[in-house]
Amino acid sequence: MIDFAFLSDTMLKLLAALPTTLSLFFASLSLGLLLSLGVVAMRVSRWPFLSYPARFYIMLFRGTPLLIQMFLIYYGLGQFSAIRSSFMWEILRSPYGCAVVALAMCTAGYTAEIIRGGLLSVPPGQIEAGLAVGMSRWTLLYRVIGPVTLRQALPSYSTEAVLMVKSTAIASLVTVWDVTGIAQQIIQRTYRTMEVFLCAALIYLVLNFLIVRFMSWVEYQLSPHLRERPVQRVATPAAETPPSL
Amino acid sequence: MDLLQLLSFGEHGWGAALLKAAGMTVLLTLSALVVGALVGSAVAAAKLSRRRIFRYIGDVYSILFRGIPELLVIYLFYFGGATVMGAIHHWFGGEGFVDTPPFLVGALAVGLISASYQAEVYRGAYLAVAKGELEAALAIGMTWGMRIRRVLIPQVWRYALPGLGNVWQMTLKDSALISVIGLVELMRASQVAAGSSRQYFTFYIVGGACYLILTGLSGRLFNIAETRVQRTQRRNPNA
Amino acid sequence: MNQSIETALSVSNICKSFGSVQVLKGISLDAHRGDVISILGASGSGKSTFLRCINLLESPDEGRIVLDGEVIEMKHNANGRLLPSNTRQVEAMRSKLGMVFQSFNLWSHMTVLQNIIEGPLRVLKRSRAECIEEAEQLLHKVGLFDRRDYYPAHLSGGQQQRVAIARALAMNPQVMLFDEPTSALDPELVGEVLRVMRSLAEEGRTMLVVTHEMGFARHVSNRVVFMAQGVIDAQGTPDELFEGLPTERFRQFVASHNQRAND
Repeated sequence: MIDFAFLSDTMLKLLAALPTTLSLFFASLSLGLLLSLGVVAMRVSRWPFLSYPARFYIMLFRGTPLLIQMFLIYYGLGQFSAIRSSFMWEILRSPYGCAVVALAMCTAGYTAEIIRGGLLSVPPGQIEAGLAVGMSRWTLLYRVIGPVTLRQALPSYSTEAVLMVKSTAIASLVTVWDVTGIAQQIIQRTYRTMEVFLCAALIYLVLNFLIVRFMSWVEYQLSPHLRERPVQRVATPAAETPPSL
Repeated sequence: MDLLQLLSFGEHGWGAALLKAAGMTVLLTLSALVVGALVGSAVAAAKLSRRRIFRYIGDVYSILFRGIPELLVIYLFYFGGATVMGAIHHWFGGEGFVDTPPFLVGALAVGLISASYQAEVYRGAYLAVAKGELEAALAIGMTWGMRIRRVLIPQVWRYALPGLGNVWQMTLKDSALISVIGLVELMRASQVAAGSSRQYFTFYIVGGACYLILTGLSGRLFNIAETRVQRTQRRNPNA
Repeated sequence: MNQSIETALSVSNICKSFGSVQVLKGISLDAHRGDVISILGASGSGKSTFLRCINLLESPDEGRIVLDGEVIEMKHNANGRLLPSNTRQVEAMRSKLGMVFQSFNLWSHMTVLQNIIEGPLRVLKRSRAECIEEAEQLLHKVGLFDRRDYYPAHLSGGQQQRVAIARALAMNPQVMLFDEPTSALDPELVGEVLRVMRSLAEEGRTMLVVTHEMGFARHVSNRVVFMAQGVIDAQGTPDELFEGLPTERFRQFVASHNQRAND
């Protein structure tokens, strides 16, 4: 019944596209994180001429589908000769470059809100305590606000990372040959939808599982103060329930 | 051609087509939300079940639909649907290729994805309704049905609305992916208009603006609904 | 000895409004070295705001602060608000004023020891070994040496407040500010914190204590300031105030407290 030859052949073809999916993911996630730091810094600023553009950015990228953002960058920007002759064209002329830019800009909007949520959760008293011992703004940011924010934002960021893995699939629609792109190609050639789907789904599920495990490991490392036993360092991580995907 | 002409509702403009497509997007999202509500509440019930096997099924559902790219799920339903429909067609003696109706496939695929997120919302809302309130209802002798209708549902609503607002927005954006199987909704219409007029930038901006209007408006509506529902919770109802 | 050297902290004419409500209407107070000053008053009398204005956690609308002979530079901005003009100086000033909060405000992601060494290490930039050694002495002093690796979440309120006191002491401050240090504690935990504060007073620390603890005000402090409606209504030695009952408001305040104690 089960055609193992076809399954393994499909799996191999899909795995050959995994590096593309992975590099899309890592490139856009890290670029997006960097960008989001700028956006959130503007967003929480007291000056309206900084915070309003950031609000607008967040609204724009969270309020529209990623697909239209990607198409706008891929098809839309190439229309302008000014862009075609600028240094950005090196990146924007390739589907891969466009996909990374779109994914990064989109995730930056979501990540900025996640970080802002973390910032708002820092108890004001702990900030005051820092001020009261004479900490400078940077020391306060680096020693008190940063660590607390990081710990608070991590679970949401883990969810965002999983959403990003899924979003990389959209890059296949601007002709990037990632796992989903190859899967679609095989399906159209063979019409053996179920088998191909199972192989591709398995790859994404394993990837997401690894990300969630990694994130909850980091979270565990960062939250000794929330664990049960105060003194002894527990050798084996307690059986914590992993956050569902 | 200038922008006004491109977007006009006349013969050469795309205004009417885009407006109709926006209607399609709303219709598709609503249908998906209903599918998601039905399946999602079943999944939530499974997750809250005392039977381990049901909890297991609920968890697997979440892992699958929240972990697999939306696009793959859509392909599965579209191409898979075609295969199944073809088989049925041939069974009854038909011939040739059968196309799957893209709206049905879209509502189903996006709806099932939406269900995995809605399940989480309903589950959280159920858990937020104080257990004591249900026990109080039991204590005054309400039947199971009455407890669900009179105590649980009015309360679950209150806790679920903010989460549902998010799911709605997510589903609205996911609906754009149905453009890949040829359903003429907002994304597809923007693509067609962009391609035929060669005004890619303009039409993707216009399409994006339409989505912004839809997400913005629906966000407003959800906020209004939330304040309505929250009203019973204020300490001073006149405040 | 010269009077001006003896004065550790001098604040004058502190005014502060929140919106249209004037909370402080020109408060002046001098603390000499070794003074333990209790600041009493009904809630809403502005006593906590006054304390927070001293280390500029709240910026006063008017006023002058002199710590250790050094005037804190402040300027009116375009909107007429008074703001410190030298951030470095404010940071340095705060490091010389130890603050103990009502709600402890320990850093939740740091252990007890890390909480205590944080200030000396990062602000005073002293060596880690030195900081740890001193922190351990302080922990012995507040009786929490065995809890040095605990996180705040694992401590009782009284223990947390004792850690907070040790954290403030680790900066070796000129003046200690206590903002209702026992108000957030369960009654049975108040004693352990008051004991630590009494021992600090006996060491000759300069302390400003906003409190509701009449016993502490009467028996530990050497001066009592009674605030009402944004002004200092009465002040003097504990005997002068509690025996003399100089004003009607203070009489009522003491009466209501005695009533509560007798309930």
